Amino acid sequence: MLSLLWSGVVTGCLYALGALGLVLIFKSSKVVNFSHGSLAGVSAFIVYASSSSLPGLPWAACVALALLAAVAIATLTYVVIAPVVFESDLTATVATLGVSLVLQGVVLIVFGSDIVSLELPLPRWSMTVAGLRVSAYDLAVLGATAAAIALLFLVIERTRLGIAFRAVSASPFAARVCGLSIRSVHLFSWILAALLGVLAALLIVPTTFLSPTTVASFMLQAFAAAVLGGFESLPGAAVGGIVVGILVNLFTFYVSPEFTNSFLLVLILTALGLFPGGILSRRGGSRV
Amino acid sequence: MSDIAGATRALRAERVSLAFGALQVLFGVDVEFPPGRITGLIGPNGAGKSSLFNCLTGLYRPQTGKITFGGARLDGLPPAARAGHGLARSFQHVALCSEMTVAENVMFGLTRHGKAGWASAFLPLPAGARERADARARAIAALELLAIAALADKRVGELPPGPLRLVELARAIVGEPRVLLLDEPAAGLNSLETRDLLAALRRIARPELVMVVVEHDMDLIMQLCDSIYVLNFGKVIALGTPDEIRRDPEVARVYLGADDA
Amino acid sequence: MSELALSKGGSAPVAATEPVARAPIGAWGDIACVAVLATLPFVLGGFWTYSIGVALANAVGVLSVSVLVRFGGEVSIGHNFFMAAGAYAVAILEKRWGIPFYLSMFVAPAAGLLLGLAFAYPSRSLSGIYLAVATMALGLAVPEILLQWSSVTGGFEGLYVTGHLTTVVSKDLQHYYVALLILVAVVYALKRLRHSRQGLALLTARSHPRAAEAFGVTVSWARLSVMGISASLAGLSGGTLAFVSSTVSPNSFSFSSAIFLLVGSVASFYALSLPAAVLGAAVITLLPQYFATAGEWVPIFYGAALLLVILCGNAGTSALRRAAAWLGVRHV
Repeated sequence: MLSLLWSGVVTGCLYALGALGLVLIFKSSKVVNFSHGSLAGVSAFIVYASSSSLPGLPWAACVALALLAAVAIATLTYVVIAPVVFESDLTATVATLGVSLVLQGVVLIVFGSDIVSLELPLPRWSMTVAGLRVSAYDLAVLGATAAAIALLFLVIERTRLGIAFRAVSASPFAARVCGLSIRSVHLFSWILAALLGVLAALLIVPTTFLSPTTVASFMLQAFAAAVLGGFESLPGAAVGGIVVGILVNLFTFYVSPEFTNSFLLVLILTALGLFPGGILSRRGGSRV
Repeated sequence: MSDIAGATRALRAERVSLAFGALQVLFGVDVEFPPGRITGLIGPNGAGKSSLFNCLTGLYRPQTGKITFGGARLDGLPPAARAGHGLARSFQHVALCSEMTVAENVMFGLTRHGKAGWASAFLPLPAGARERADARARAIAALELLAIAALADKRVGELPPGPLRLVELARAIVGEPRVLLLDEPAAGLNSLETRDLLAALRRIARPELVMVVVEHDMDLIMQLCDSIYVLNFGKVIALGTPDEIRRDPEVARVYLGADDA
Repeated sequence: MSELALSKGGSAPVAATEPVARAPIGAWGDIACVAVLATLPFVLGGFWTYSIGVALANAVGVLSVSVLVRFGGEVSIGHNFFMAAGAYAVAILEKRWGIPFYLSMFVAPAAGLLLGLAFAYPSRSLSGIYLAVATMALGLAVPEILLQWSSVTGGFEGLYVTGHLTTVVSKDLQHYYVALLILVAVVYALKRLRHSRQGLALLTARSHPRAAEAFGVTVSWARLSVMGISASLAGLSGGTLAFVSSTVSPNSFSFSSAIFLLVGSVASFYALSLPAAVLGAAVITLLPQYFATAGEWVPIFYGAALLLVILCGNAGTSALRRAAAWLGVRHV
């Protein structure tokens, strides 16, 4: 039971990283980015391709290459959908589906549809604490997630763009009055989200394998986490990720490992019914 | 200010208080809107007239007090249920569906009275056809009352603001409501269009109809209304005929004070 | 405004004729389209008759997504769920109880309707993005349900649908014309819906929810209704697809197929006319066959097509708006 919870928290961290990206983008530009998973998948493939075809290249360099590519793709994605971002309906969200299809197609053409495996350069180390087996991978995930979240909040709290981001997500109108460039704030959030997505993808892939659709299908967990957190709250997304990680783990163990997506569907619908504003929101107000 | 028979069919708000968090916007407001009269609701910005109006339509739920119409409690009912009590309204920002024609928008005002089921929505059944023809005839009649029947088959997107206001008015009256709530009907209209609106509103008035108008345009209010409530800081500060209101020193102070600031 | 007052009184000509009663231009386009489609099997070979038949069944699916957009303002990427429900309903009814398609074609939309309502009920008070995310989960859940419930669904292999309606006409032609008939019936029913009381209520609820509420139409009623209509059309589309292609398998109802339906719907500009739906369905049905040797290009092509339509559509309307502003036209 304890080990189930532990591994749930570890995978939950990864869902949280994915969900944070979705929420960052949604908060600033009111777009649900369905290409988030595909972009992370492309980056994971870049790490795989560069590390396997250039054996001399250090792993960190491969990751740096993938991060660069992610920034470039995120920028390109935003530029493509920029004309429809301010549409009030779901147009921009549908457009991200188009971007997602293109990215998946590119992976299919460049890397083929073969399934490959991608490991992290981690020692095969593990220890047992109070009956709980803790591996180097677990610690790497927790450490990377904690560092990423800490860095994210630092960037949002302390940098000029971060403050602008908070202003824009509170009220685009107020931000416009203050003379902030909404476009650059959007781009800032899209790039941050892409970086978090790459991190999540690289940490997820060792637990499974890499194919053109693996990372994209992991995104459902991230979406569920974002929905649980209310889609507008960064802390909500982080907590939502861990909750989803634990619940999915328990469901997989006690009920069935084959119906994860169906379980997530029920979870999303239940969460939407019980907490329309997210699990961290307080109900109130007299407007009905 | 109203006879006893009329009072039973009046729309009333009794001791209505409303707050958003720590911000109190209405302080135990008592108002009565009798049938057969056009009652205005005015006040400077932030006086609470829109909040009171939204309590009447059901958009806001007051914390205390009650809202009744003809003896039936309305507070606690959502807007859709209030339509069943005969309340109809217009919107400050025109809320017509631009994909539909003028006649179709007005026919929507009858949707509550429709009986034809889903089968006649998809299949050519006589009951649905009859109902539709009847709805169209009533919509045209409402448009004729407002002198805009010629626009019936125009798309809403093609029309300037003046006629749009009248189309909204037609949609509100086509179902023969017992209460008509008008939210700043003259907003965005030029003086010519406002004059047409005034004429149209006077034609709508009937002995059994409660009419409530929230409006910034003083000229329109003074010409149109039989009596006027003036709100300031969430309280009623005056009630009277347009002449009485014009002469009220308190009202003058509120409005002039606001203007001087 | 004053000049409009001229119409006061003697405006009988306006009131008497209803524009709907007159045949609008669109109807002639539909009729021409039906005529062309009806003659195609005699012009083209058996393979194309089959492919276009599949496209006609998919056209109903494209319409199911477009209905959701037009009447509900919502986007779904989970309609493979309702399509699978309809398709497997037809296949299972035939396999288990020998129920023919002329009966099961009514069960397929009913299955879609029930599931659509079951899905929409918990999300009835929620707006666009939440529904879109929930439909994503719905779409991803389909394959695992079909694969794991193999005692009923036939697992990976799927099921065969062998029945046909009559022995007089060849099976291929039956498939084609039944699909065409169903598509025409759906387009006709949707045209009626647009002018019905319910249709007007749904359109108002989509564009001005508060106005709809003020006249007694609750937004949750509108959401349930639109999803019900859309899901039952998807179910009908799936059932027709099962009949036309004589087989159902998880592959035909993957998450990608739901995204492709949306691509088809976008490519048809969400229009609810016959030519538009057929065009949208042709894009998602016939192009993959055309690209058969280069299948990996299909997602790129669809993605690019989706972006192209959305961005050009946007550029088109804003150009129109600019032009109108330049000409001094108000309120475009």
